[in-house]
Amino acid sequence: MKSAENIEKLIKNLDLDIDTNEKTDQKILKELIEAHEKSKKMKSVSIEPNIRSKIMKSPITKLAAAVIIVGVVLSFTIWNKTTPTAYALEQTIQASHSVRYLRIKGFNEGMEEQKEFWLEFDEQGSIKNIRAHMPEWESPSDGARVVIWREGKAKIWFKKKNTLLTIKEKRFADKISETVQLFDPKFAFQRFSEMEKSGLVKIDIEEPQKETEAIIVTATYSPECKEFGVPVDRTILFIDQATKLLTSLESYLLIENGDYELIDVVEFHDYNKRIDPAVFMLDELPSDVIEIDQTIQDIGLEQGNLSDEDIAVKVVREFYEALIAKDYVKAGLLYGGVPVATMEERFKDLKIIRIISIGEPKPHPTPGVGGFMVPCKLEIEKDGIKSVYEPYGPGIRPVRSQPNRWSIHGGVK
Amino acid sequence: MLEDKVLIWKFKCGSSDALCSIYQKYKKDLLKLAAILLSDVSDTEDIVHDVFLSFAQSAEKLKLRGNLKSYLLTCTANRARNRNRTNRQRQTAGLDKAETITSDSKKPEELIIANEELRRWSNAMGKLPYEQREVVILHLRAGMRFRQIAKLQGISVNTIKGRYRYGLDKLRSILNGEMEK
Repeated sequence: MKSAENIEKLIKNLDLDIDTNEKTDQKILKELIEAHEKSKKMKSVSIEPNIRSKIMKSPITKLAAAVIIVGVVLSFTIWNKTTPTAYALEQTIQASHSVRYLRIKGFNEGMEEQKEFWLEFDEQGSIKNIRAHMPEWESPSDGARVVIWREGKAKIWFKKKNTLLTIKEKRFADKISETVQLFDPKFAFQRFSEMEKSGLVKIDIEEPQKETEAIIVTATYSPECKEFGVPVDRTILFIDQATKLLTSLESYLLIENGDYELIDVVEFHDYNKRIDPAVFMLDELPSDVIEIDQTIQDIGLEQGNLSDEDIAVKVVREFYEALIAKDYVKAGLLYGGVPVATMEERFKDLKIIRIISIGEPKPHPTPGVGGFMVPCKLEIEKDGIKSVYEPYGPGIRPVRSQPNRWSIHGGVK
Repeated sequence: MLEDKVLIWKFKCGSSDALCSIYQKYKKDLLKLAAILLSDVSDTEDIVHDVFLSFAQSAEKLKLRGNLKSYLLTCTANRARNRNRTNRQRQTAGLDKAETITSDSKKPEELIIANEELRRWSNAMGKLPYEQREVVILHLRAGMRFRQIAKLQGISVNTIKGRYRYGLDKLRSILNGEMEK
């Protein structure tokens, strides 16, 4: 006689030998891929900008913002000792203290290419070296960028523009350092302790029975958190049970019907796996790369007592006057520090007779660019024929690495 | 589960490789579930094919709250239920159409069901009312909780528990009866 328990056991353990053959698999997979491709094509092109706009518009990157949430989560648990689980996030903070090397990947909704960071910390846990690969979608006008930060200097290679920009500025360095430290649980909790104390986040910790599965920490934010710069509504952290280190972080937005929609994933890889020092060097540059070193020269013009609008107009006027005078040294310095040879090559065929007018500066229309667009009219001559020329820009903004100085960044031709 | 999250993410980002990985990872689980739930095992492959096809088309709107495996198994159970219902209607439609049904069926070699055990269990399960069969299989084979099954079928947890108990009792008597023969 079989008892009910036996029946249950039998059904549970029933090993059914059923499968499709390889030919059928190939056929089905082909159909699935076709259906998937078709559905991708039907997807509205407006979705991606929509998602992007949903993510955030503040200067801090989404990736960094996602990590802010780690800080919030971690800080919460530091002070909240009531969580009735064996695991506590202090363990993750503790484990993170010994991290010397780390690799981070960021995936965003609808974007094939990922962001990638390589980090090296010193013995005190401070950031020593950074390499960042930023895909084109992150800044379409600049294109894909590789950023190396070491010894207080940042080198940014703009692949599309074939330009290497070197800058040294405390604010920039601090910003990079701050951004990266947000990934680092041991620093993060201090920054966000105030949020935790205000009870703005609800934490759920799920500890699986299997040791191979991750501890899952779900942080759900109150709507007020948006005011504190938290751009998402829920974060789920996956923590390795053995090492207590963060392995993955997912960010969600609250959508209709109370559902949460995944908007990005950040993965943490290769903890303490030594990174070759060559990774923190830029030795893959093309031989004809245009090098702009803003650490060794003054760029643009000093603002002095002028208003932002007035200095923008002044930079534009002096730039075109320099081009009229064929003073490519000065023009290059006003144009972000572009080398003389490059300036000459770019502008030798543009014969500017005079500046007809320079209009009123308007905020730059591209989000995130900053500064102004200054409309102007130039009289130019080509093949003996004079005409009026209106450049697209020019775009003027503060020099990032040199406080109180303004320069042109594009749109001059 | 972590791997699933990444697969789903990549799938939603447009990766066909992720879709293929999901298919390879879960097709067997789905086939096994469908084979036991369906009155006609030759429909098994169709059901699983339909589940994945619908999944492949859903990347944009997919909002997964539970885990991926449960989601796919639930889709399979839903489709199996519909298929059984359709088959019942066809079978009552008259003898003229029976031949069509037979000729529409999959050829045995297209589906590798080499296991006598499956046939035996499929026969035994086929004697249970579908509602009971579904609860027993979803609970024991798909690992779904009664609460989840209740939500799936839109009925109370107590009804689900009742169906499970009756289903197990009936199955026991069927199998014991077989042994006594």
